Amino acid sequence: MREVVILSGKGGVGKSSIVGSLGVIYARKYKVVLADTDVDAPNLNLVLGAKLRNSEEIAASFKSFINYDKCIGCMMCSDVCKFSSIIGVDLPIIIPYSCEGCGACSVICPEDAIEIKEVVNGQLNIFDAENMLLVAGELHIGETSSGRLVDIVKKRARQEAEHCHAEIICTDGPPGIGCPVIASVKGADYVVLVTEPTPAALNDLKRVVEVVKHFRTPLGIALNRSNIHPESNRAIKQFSQDNGFFILSEIPYDKSMPMAVANAQPVVSAYPAAPASLALRKLAEALSERINALS
Amino acid sequence: MQKTIEGNFQSEIIAAYHEKNFETPVIGVTGGKGGVGKTTVAVNIACALVNMGYKVALVDADVDAPNAAILLGMTLENSLDVFITRPLINESKCNSCGACVEVCRLNALFLPKDKAPVLLGACNGCEACLLVCETNAIHRGKKTVGKTYKTNRGNLTLYTGELIPSLEESAIVVEKLKERIFQEAADFDIIVVDTSPGAHCNVIKALQGSDSVITVTEPTPLGAHDFELILKLLDIFELKGTAFLNRADLPSPKDAVQKIAQDHNTTVAAELNTDDLLIKSYVSGDPIVTMFPEAASAITFVRLAHEIAQEYLI
Repeated sequence: MREVVILSGKGGVGKSSIVGSLGVIYARKYKVVLADTDVDAPNLNLVLGAKLRNSEEIAASFKSFINYDKCIGCMMCSDVCKFSSIIGVDLPIIIPYSCEGCGACSVICPEDAIEIKEVVNGQLNIFDAENMLLVAGELHIGETSSGRLVDIVKKRARQEAEHCHAEIICTDGPPGIGCPVIASVKGADYVVLVTEPTPAALNDLKRVVEVVKHFRTPLGIALNRSNIHPESNRAIKQFSQDNGFFILSEIPYDKSMPMAVANAQPVVSAYPAAPASLALRKLAEALSERINALS
Repeated sequence: MQKTIEGNFQSEIIAAYHEKNFETPVIGVTGGKGGVGKTTVAVNIACALVNMGYKVALVDADVDAPNAAILLGMTLENSLDVFITRPLINESKCNSCGACVEVCRLNALFLPKDKAPVLLGACNGCEACLLVCETNAIHRGKKTVGKTYKTNRGNLTLYTGELIPSLEESAIVVEKLKERIFQEAADFDIIVVDTSPGAHCNVIKALQGSDSVITVTEPTPLGAHDFELILKLLDIFELKGTAFLNRADLPSPKDAVQKIAQDHNTTVAAELNTDDLLIKSYVSGDPIVTMFPEAASAITFVRLAHEIAQEYLI
């Protein structure tokens, strides 16, 4: 079983749309499990028009809780908190949205009034999408520890994949380069970096490349909306060539893409003859070649 | 109200979130979904305000993927490092008691038999290990996790945060960036803050202290879904503002976004259609309000800037 993660650095370049189509193409030949680790704003189920099978609450976060019967208001906890997460003048108040649950406050508290507790920070949703299973994480609004939730989503996706003897897991990752991205890359066999020909997307691509190189994961590039700016298209090819990165496919922009999104269908299902669908099939082919060549 | 903000202290937490020790108005720009045009909106409104004669600080708080400088054709200057504590262990003082290893909730410390512990895993600099060490064998070292920049061009000053790739401390870089601009807030007439996509810690910290928030979205089902998430977040933190519907002519019905806006008492203050000139300016490093001031989208940005000035600056 192989695990492919799709990342981009920049948001909105087409990660979810591409994963949706890749899944549909692979599912014709293989058993496929999909995962959505963009737990801040999971969208893959919308691209696929997927049906929710079940949903469970996940406690993957820790926070400090003060027992006010014991607290004497010395405020030492506030002084040691490196995350500016305890406010108040003579009575400490924990700010839940930035508390890391590190426990420094409970160590310093002379009255043993602070406890670190596990809290529910999100949910794990299982969807059916055509003949695929989708495991998606969703962080509750205002909650933290997205990286830990991603770990749980990935673990569950692997279990489901083993259970149904899936050959491939395709993971739709989050934008950016922070903790949920790092959690998404860990343990992956291959990373597809989606980008578009704009200077901003190239800038973000370079940053996410640094992350993937750090984990020594092999990577390939999917150049989406390849026809929107020829000069940036050349710049991305030059960057790829200079670094020895393979461009798996160039996916031209046409109206079929947004129309497919509007209809909650991957473009390869909705408009199989569109130039974008052709390019996505080429992407699937180039990607399986790369994965099969992995040792 | 969500379970995030508990008990009787909700009002204190919200008050602290809105507290600022300066008069300069702060306008946040966010959106939930990536690539909906947050930075384009922030940059153009900032430049339109500059063109009206105001001194503007634009804050690029998308520290994972900061792009405002690229859209402005600016080269970043005046960098400051952002540090966290890295525990340094003095082996000669250590009695191998293992208390630091036990207290570390990230399991970043490893204790070889009869030796001093070594830092192996991801340390977030919480200093719990320093607090438990009986022999004072652990000292504060420094680990650089990112940079903040301050780049000036006429009446526009760009503050940018940048996380070092492969590290996880985005939220701390955002916090230090906000500290840097808020300390210098009195130098400006107005502050515009551009956030990362998503709806969690980085975005919450970036929007802290905002007087008003512009939420950028697009009419696609994905845009609508993430728009609702971010409006829920704004409700929790009692942040008010308006919505900005970008690419309004995409083949998705606009009513989903309009309905969500209505449910959250948010007005759609502007709609923009897809525009070749906007893409041209986007790839040229020159905001449309200066590159093509006659373009329909430039006129929309200038109108929004006037509305902001009307409300906060006159």
